[in-house]
Order: sequence, then C-alpha cells, then structure tokens
Amino acid sequence: MEAENSDSSAPAREPEQASLGDDEMAAGGASKFLTNLPSRGLFSSAVLSSNLGSMRVYVCDHDTSPPEEQLIKTNATNILIRSLQINKLRIDSKDAKASVAITKGKRSAARPLDGKSSAKRTNTGATSSSGRQEGSSTGFSERMLQTMTVERLRAILKDKGLSPKGKKDELISRLKDES
Amino acid sequence: MSFWNYVVTAHKPTAVSHSCVGNFTSPQELNLIIAKCTRIEIHLLSAHGLQPMLDVPIYGRIATLELFRPHGESQDLLFIATERYKFCVLQWDGEASELITRYPMNADLSFSHSFLVGSLYNISLIAVVLFYEVIPFDNKGQLKEAFNIRLEELQVLDIKFLYGCSKPTIAVLYQDNKDARHLKTYEVALKDKDFIEGPWSQNNLDNGAGLLIPVPLPLGGVIIIGEETIVYCNGSSFKAIPIRPSITRAYGRIDPDGSRFLLGDNSGLLYLLVISHERERITGLKIEHLGETSVASSISYLDNAVVYVGSKYGDSQLIKLNLQPDEKGSYVEVLEKYVNLGPIVDFCVVDLERQGQGQVVTCSGAYKDGSLRIVRNGIGINEQASVELQGIKGLWSLRSSTTDPNDTFLVVSFISETRILAMNMEDELEETEIEGFYAQAQTLFCQNALHDQLVQVTASSVRLVSCTSRELQDQWIAPTGFSVNVATANATQVLLAIGGGHLVYLEIGDGKLTEVKHIQLEYEISCLDINPIGEKANSSALAVVGMWTDISVRIFSLPSLDLITKESLGGEIIPRSVLICSFEGISYLLCALGDGHLFNFLLNLATGELSDRKKVSLGTQPITLRTFSSKDTTHVFAASDRPTVIYSSNKKLLYSNVNLKEVSHMCPFNSAAFPDSLAIAKEGELSIGTIDDIQKLHIRSIPLGEHARRICHQEQSRTFAICSLKNCLINNDETEVHFVRLLDDQTFEFISTYQLDTFEYGCSIISCSFSDDNNVYYSVGTAYVLPEENEPTKGRILVFVVEDGKLQLIAEKETKGAVYSLNAFNGKLLAAINQKIQLYKLMLREDGTRELQSECGHHGHILALYVQTRGDFIVVGDLMKSISLLLYKHEEGAIEERARDYNANWMTAVEILDDDVYLGAENNFNLFTVRRNSDGATDEERGRLEVVGEYHLGEFVNRFRHGSLVMRLPDSEAGNIPTVIFGTVNGVIGIVASLPHDHYVFLEKLQSNLVKVIKGVGGLSHEQWRSFNNEKKTVDARNFLDGDLIESFLDLSRSRMEEISKTIGVSVEELCKRVEELTRLH
Repeated sequence: MEAENSDSSAPAREPEQASLGDDEMAAGGASKFLTNLPSRGLFSSAVLSSNLGSMRVYVCDHDTSPPEEQLIKTNATNILIRSLQINKLRIDSKDAKASVAITKGKRSAARPLDGKSSAKRTNTGATSSSGRQEGSSTGFSERMLQTMTVERLRAILKDKGLSPKGKKDELISRLKDES
Repeated sequence: MSFWNYVVTAHKPTAVSHSCVGNFTSPQELNLIIAKCTRIEIHLLSAHGLQPMLDVPIYGRIATLELFRPHGESQDLLFIATERYKFCVLQWDGEASELITRYPMNADLSFSHSFLVGSLYNISLIAVVLFYEVIPFDNKGQLKEAFNIRLEELQVLDIKFLYGCSKPTIAVLYQDNKDARHLKTYEVALKDKDFIEGPWSQNNLDNGAGLLIPVPLPLGGVIIIGEETIVYCNGSSFKAIPIRPSITRAYGRIDPDGSRFLLGDNSGLLYLLVISHERERITGLKIEHLGETSVASSISYLDNAVVYVGSKYGDSQLIKLNLQPDEKGSYVEVLEKYVNLGPIVDFCVVDLERQGQGQVVTCSGAYKDGSLRIVRNGIGINEQASVELQGIKGLWSLRSSTTDPNDTFLVVSFISETRILAMNMEDELEETEIEGFYAQAQTLFCQNALHDQLVQVTASSVRLVSCTSRELQDQWIAPTGFSVNVATANATQVLLAIGGGHLVYLEIGDGKLTEVKHIQLEYEISCLDINPIGEKANSSALAVVGMWTDISVRIFSLPSLDLITKESLGGEIIPRSVLICSFEGISYLLCALGDGHLFNFLLNLATGELSDRKKVSLGTQPITLRTFSSKDTTHVFAASDRPTVIYSSNKKLLYSNVNLKEVSHMCPFNSAAFPDSLAIAKEGELSIGTIDDIQKLHIRSIPLGEHARRICHQEQSRTFAICSLKNCLINNDETEVHFVRLLDDQTFEFISTYQLDTFEYGCSIISCSFSDDNNVYYSVGTAYVLPEENEPTKGRILVFVVEDGKLQLIAEKETKGAVYSLNAFNGKLLAAINQKIQLYKLMLREDGTRELQSECGHHGHILALYVQTRGDFIVVGDLMKSISLLLYKHEEGAIEERARDYNANWMTAVEILDDDVYLGAENNFNLFTVRRNSDGATDEERGRLEVVGEYHLGEFVNRFRHGSLVMRLPDSEAGNIPTVIFGTVNGVIGIVASLPHDHYVFLEKLQSNLVKVIKGVGGLSHEQWRSFNNEKKTVDARNFLDGDLIESFLDLSRSRMEEISKTIGVSVEELCKRVEELTRLH
C-alpha cells in the first residue's frame, strides 16, 4: 500500500474505462494474451474423440477404515481451557527463564561483593535462594509472584513501603529480596 | 400400505459443483476430477481427449474437493469434505485400481456452521483449514490432531491460503456488521493453536467482493474479485481495475506462475485476467472478454488451450481457447457438451408415443441455459422406411459378395415362400431373385459363406449358391421321411435338426457341401446355434442345442458332435432360441424360453463348461435372439412382445427396452442407403431403421434460451404449457419478463405466448376440466412479486383454452396472494394462495362468458406451497409446518383439517402414495412418509399424522409425480409396484417404489448384509449418510431402502456375491434375479 494505492481507485478508473470502450473496436485484443498457453502434449490430437470408453462405477468392497495411527481426531479441549493451558505453559517456560534472569541479577549484584563468580556458584546460589524462598513464611513464592499482575505486585510493594517502579521482573526480585 | 419404500436413482446427479486437475492416478498421468453432488468422476487427460475412468459414489454431499501433494509424495491426494462435516483424504492405488483412504476424519466439525467450507492448503502444505478447524500436517506429510480456532469475523465470505509466506497464512474476506467488506490475513500458529493477526490487511473493499484468488510465487498476494472492481494486493503493493458489473462465479488458473486466470460470471461470460509483472512486482492488471460458456461453477484449465467448464445451471462443457476470434468475436470454441439436467425445477410424465411407457419432460437449467429435456428409458428405433408385409417368419441380410462391405439382399421368409428384396439403383427396396435359391418354401436359415457363396436352408434341402453366378453349386437333400426343422449356419459350417432328434453337421467347401457327422439324440431339438466367437472367425468349435421334453441345453464339440455339457433348465417351457455371444471379451450362452424368460450363462470356450446361471424375464412371448453391431460393439437383440437389447457395461449384462411394441424378427441390414440399420418385422410390417446409442436413458434437449419454471401437458390439444421467465432489455434496463407459453408436444416449438404483467410471476400451471363443461383448460396461478413486499399480496388465476393452437384467456380471477399450487379437484379448481386453500368453480354467466367463483376455503398454514389431492382428501405441504391433511365436505361445501404432522419440516415437495400414506421431501435433503391414523382411539390420535418412514436422500427434491419411466408388464412382479418419480436440483431423476412387505423385508436383509461388504469410500458410513438429519434431529433411516446400494450387488465379484448369499441363505442366482427385477423399475 504505497502512493499508488491511495489514489488508484479514482483516477485509475478513467483510463481503464476508456480501454473497456476500445475493447469492441480492437477485436482480437485478447489474442496476444492467449499465446503460449501451457501445454504438456495432451489434447494434441487434431480431432478430439468424444467416445473414449465408458465410466466404470466404483464399488468399494475393501476395508476403508485406515490404520489406527492415521485416524485424525479433533483436540477435544475447549478453546478457553486450551488457551489457559497454553498461557500456563508459556508462564512455566518464562518462569524457568525468569529464574535464570534472577540468578543472573543476583550474580551481577554479588559480583562487586566477592569479586569472583563461577557457574557453579551461581547454580548453588540459585538453588539455595529458591530453597530459602520456600522456607520463608511471610514471602511469596516466585511462581505465585509471576502469576500476579504488575498492579498487584505494585500494591504489595507499596504495602511493604518499597518503590513500585520498574519492570515486572524487577518488582518481583525486589519483593523477593525484601523477603 | 405403501410405507415400505425403495428409493433408487434413475439418472445420476449431473450438476457440477467443483473440479480440479492433478496427478491423481499416477505421477505421469494428469486427471480431471469432477464433483457432482454425491459422486466424484475421475477422468484421464489423453492426447485424444478426456477419457472417463471412474465414477465414485460418496456417502455425503460434497462440500469441497481439492487435490494436494504432501511432502515426499509423487502423486496428488484428494481431499473431500462433505456437507455433514465429514472429511477424508483419498489416494489412488494404481496396482489394485482402488481408492485408499489415507486419513479419514473423525473430527467433530460441527463447529463449522457455514456452507462456505473451504479446504485450503499452502504451497508447503503445512495445514489444511476447514473453516475454523485446522488440521496440520507434520513434516512427513502425516496429518496430525486437528484443533478448532476461533475467528473473530462472523460473516466470512471466502478464505484462502497465501503462497510464499514463511508461516501458513490465510487471507479472510469478511463482511462487518455495517455490511462493509474487508480482507484480513492471519498466520496460523501451530504451536499455540491460534490465529495471529497477520502481516497485512485491506479495508473497505468493493461491496460485492466475494472471491479470493491466491497468486502463486513469484508474486504472491491475493486477487479480490468484486462486482465492479478487481483488486490485487499483497501488503506492499496494490492495484485495482474496474470491470463491467458482473458477479464472478468461478475462476481457473492457467499458468503455474499465476499470470493468467480465467473468470466465469453469472451470465456465462468468460474473461481472461492477465497479471503482468516485472521482477516480482506487479505492473498491471488487465481483463479481456473471451466469449460465452454455460454459467460456470468451476473452471479447470486442462492442457493445450482446452478448458473444462463445470456448470450447475446448464450443460458442462469442454472448450478450446482459440488464438483468433471467430466472426462473432468469440475466442471460445465448444468442443463437447456434457448433459446436465439440473436444476430440475419441475417436470411432467407423459406418454407422447402412446406406447404405455412414460417419458419425463423436465424444466432444466437456469437463466440463459434453461431448456426442456425429454428423458426416455429404452432404446429408440428411428424408422427410415417401411413396407406392409404380413406373416414374416424369418429375416436375413446377405452381401452380394464376401468382399462387399454392405448388405445388398434382404431375405424375407414366409410360411410357404421366400422373397428376396434388394436395393435398386434409386436406393429403393425392390423385390428381386437369386436364381439358385428355392423361393417356393419357407427359408429356415441363410448366410454368406466362404469362397464367395451363399447358403440357404429350407425344410427339404441345404443349397449352396455362388455369389457371382447366383447359381446352385451343390445341395444336400434331407433323407426321405425327414425334413429340416431347425437350422443354423456360419461361414463354413451348417448344423441341422431333421426331426426325430437327428442332428446333422455339414461343412461348406468351395462349391461343395459335405456331411461330416450325423447323430441321434433322445428327444426333439428345439433350437441350435454355432455362432463363431472363438479363435477362428469363420467356424465354431462348439454347437449349442436346445431340447424338447427334458428342457435342457446341450453343448457339443464340432466337428465330432461329442456331448460336452448338459444343463437342465427346469420347468416346462422349452428353449426357443439359443445364442453363443461375447461381450467385452467374456463369452456367454444365452437361452430364451417360450414364455419370455431368458437364461444367461458364462461359457468357457475351451472346455464348453457353463457357469453363473442367471434368469431374467424379458416379456411373455417366445424370444428370438440375434446379434447386431452398433458403434463397433456387438449387442444382442431379443425379439418378442417386449423387444429388448442385451448389452454389457462394466462386464455386467444389461437389458434395455426397445421402444417398439412387438417385434417378431430382426436382422442387421447395413446397406449403402441405410447404413448401420436394422430390418425389423413387426405387426404386419417390415421396417428399416437406425438404432439409438445403446444406453439406458436417452435425453433430448430443447434449448429455450429462457428459464422454464413450470410445465404441464394437455393430452387433448397435444400441447405443453410452460411458465417461463426471461431477462429482456426494455429501455436499456434489464428486466425479468414472465410468460405463459404453449408448445407443440411433437416439435416443441412455441406456438402461442401470453405475456404476464410486470412483476407478475407464473407460479403454477395445470391442465384441467370443470364439471358441466366439456372443454379442457390450462389454468395458471401467478403472483405479483413487488420489490417492496416480503410476501406477495396479490396474484391471479388465469384460465386459458387452446383454440386453433392459440392460448385464449377465458377467465381471470384476482387473488389475495401468490397462487403457489393449482389442482383439478372434483370438477373444480383448488388453489393454494399464501396461507389459504381456496376452492373455485367455473360459472357460465348469462352473456356466455365464464367466471371463477370462490366456493370455500381453509386457513391455517404459514404458506401452503404444495398441494396434492385424492378423492375428497387434500394433502398440503407447508413452508415450515410439514404435511397436513384436509377434507372437502360436499354437503357443507367446506374444507376442514383432519390431521397434521406436528414436526417442523420445511417442505419442498409432497405426494400422496395411497389413501393413508403421504410422502414428503424437506429442505435438508430428507424424505419422509407420514400415515393417517384413521383408526385412532381418540381425536388427538386421529388428528396426528404419524411419521412412519425417514430417509436422507442427499438431494433437494423439487417435484414428485406418479408414473414410471419403464413400460410395465402387467403380469410381472415389478408391474404391480406403484412408483413415484422425483426430480432434484442436481439433475437427479429418481424413483420411490412402494414394495410389498415380504419383498421389503427380504431386501432389507440384503441391504444390511451389503453394508458389511460394500464400504463407504473414504471410510464414510452408510448408516450415518442415510440417517434423517435436520437442524432438530438425526435419526436412523427406517422404512426406506437404498436402492443404489442394493443394485450395486450386481457389480460385486462372484466371490463377494457368494459371501452374501451364504449369510442370507438364498442362492446367488435368486439374489441376482430379484435385484435385476428391481433394476427394471427404472
């Protein structure tokens, strides 16, 4: 949809209409478009026969039910439930990503402290942090936080007197750090 | 009671809804596949034209048909979806010549409400969409689990896959709630099972935009066909051109790269759409008018400028696009027409030749392709010449020499003389002589023999005559005390029965007859045959002999006359004619009895063994069998009181009536003046004529150039009257004009026309007479259909009389609504006017003019569309309130309701089967029967019409009429079965036959066993297909039998037949006989 689009409907019509009028005068106008019609050598006989045998009526006396694995069934799940499931899956996968992101965040935060970082350590750190979360009674589990809306997270942060600014992940990590 | 009904198709659907081209039957072969409602036809494209291959019945109404090729396949697969939301994918197995079901669908498609079901696929074939239903393919070409997706657009007009998108993308053309039309694209996210709003969209299209054409790569994008514009867009570029206002019905792609398309519009004009492009960018659109075809419903470019145009409204065509226009400026040359009866809007059953055999005259086609079609069962003889000759006992044709390709002489034998007719110089048949023939006796047989000779057999001798000198060369004289009773011969052999069971075998030499063998049998011989069909063209190794007394046929070897086979026929009727013949490479022995029955056996030429014995009834009189050729195929003519042609199709013997009353003898007579003719001896007359194509139904077309909607025949004036409409240009405005036209029933020419008023439609027409009046009238019911009214509030009843071949209006009566139906009723006229049933009588005024006077009426319908009467009973088919029964009370002069069916069926036709049972068809393609319960205990019971039979026909029935397409033999079982003919939108002519109960029970058992053997193509279920189905309910079919299924028993292999015969406990022969009897109902 470029420049020609916007004005094509009105001005383009006139020249075309003129050419419609020409149509009858320039009989044979279609000739040049009818050249080089695709051909694979069929219907090549000069006289096409109209009597090339008769139609056989098909009687199907073999089993027509296909092998089991080829039977197509409709996914019976309700569309709403399916979309909820898909959302959940998406969140789960995000969850996993998010937890990595969090540990990364932690790691970067921790870096200036001990000045030394290794994959091993972050891993243990991640496990220990999640273990700590589950152990804590006051705080929210990360999964719970993930399912909450940003609005809700902000409200909780306000309640706890923390800054409600930033992205969802930041809000969550702030909440977690707090707890 | 006639509620045990048998429904069978006499003429298959012919309206073409879809067609496609691809490599279906093999990777090298190109096929055209055509959908005709409930059948699929597969054709092969060959150098010589379109070669029919297969006609496949489908248990469903085909909603869509597509060929596609998944990854890794070398040939295309066929995707079929039915209107009852089933689908399957079929593949052709070339080795077994079978259709294999690849992926049958168990998916519940009931989400899809629309008839706009479209099956689509993109070039990489990842998914098939069936309206909100997505069935993805995986990489291996396997279909996976299907899932439903919501589409926000409610009124989807068309939906197509786009080419060249990285993800499967669909384009959706839809109408919003302000009736504006837009295009949107969606990507199908297979993982998320959802649509993602697509890469681009196009708002505010032509208000008539209705068709999307996806353009293949390199261009991609989509063409939107509107009523006034054609638009190309692909998200980045956009091009539009105006067109003459028209509604495009079908398109066909010519070039694989999508640079040319064919478009067919609703008036049958064919256009070429050219897309010019440079470096993957569109540079221009152009549309060119090519010419006229039938109104197309599908266009398939085949090859080499040949295009298949499928039509629902007229004959489908094979056309060629010529490079240069003809003198009318048309580039279209019609190569072939394929007869289509659809839509059959109305029809009548007449007996024009007064032979006791019905013909159906249909109002077929629509718009400019409207026509009348005369559908006739049986084979016609077109008489070329005839002479009066009484007492013909035999007929033979002879060539003047062996090398002459044409017959010259016609030998006619009488009880005590033989006459020879020949063509003279003026091409007239003239009596002549062959000197060597004995003319003072009855000829028993004669034949052209080898060495340029002729053979004549009379009671006393066998004479061998030279063709050149026409003089006697040699003769064999019957021994004293014996005379030849029966004789047969071929070019080298003669076989004689000379009384007392003596059988004499002669061989013909050059100028010499030699007696080779003579044996005596225990009984008299009734008939003989030595027709050579084996390896040798001139001699037979087998002789067939029919016997008196023990009623048997025996097969002897030649020349030794050793008995090979003896087959006892049973019963007491002697065989009168035997014949060895070969159809489609299979050898048969036919044996006709003196009572019109015919046995047929498979004959093993090498061993002389007989198998597969079958018996059919052809008539009531002795039959004489003769072979003849038509179009290079051999057929057998069975001369009797019901002359029949026996031929073979699908390696199955078929019997077709010949439309002649009684034929005693027949011989082929292929002379120069009468090529490919038959000489026929009948009722004191010898006639020569050509024979129609050998097929069951014969259809003659009378193109009208206008749309006929109602028809009726008037015996007395020998005319038809039709109500028709035509689009005429009046003051440069295209207007519908409606007519009542009178046609001659022989020539089908318009002989008189009455033009109706503006906006006045002809709705009904009948031929009727009134009490106290000897004239026969045509009565026409009309409606004024005004654009601003929902239902007509005004109409007329017009009464015409035919005088001097003109329609004279003698009375007219204004009505308060549309006159949907008219019936002659007790010497009065019964009209259905909107919601009312009204009875009129014709009164003579004092001044001699006539006037229709209303007598009484009955209210209480939504719209009384279809009315049938019987005695004082009136059966009304309502728009939406099913069937009700009314009664006319003479004394009170009133019509009152007796009973009704309380189901909400939207009726399309009704008919009365008998006093108590009524047949109805409704708009979900079902048939049902209701029964009056006059013995009910309470008023409530008596007031209810009980539904006794239900069946899914799968066809939209427009009309029922009592009658039959075949001549009825009063003494045969089939002769007493009442039948109703129906005509449908897709051009089906079918029969509903009311069977006796025991017959029905037997066939029901056969049907239930057949279902186990004959499977639905694509795994579709017969039981589901035939179950009565509408928006409200689905119930199993009852008290209706599927005749098409039952008659396909005859197409089964012998082993399958035996399988069924075993489970039912009835012999194969008996089953075949009973099914063959049914096939003779239509």
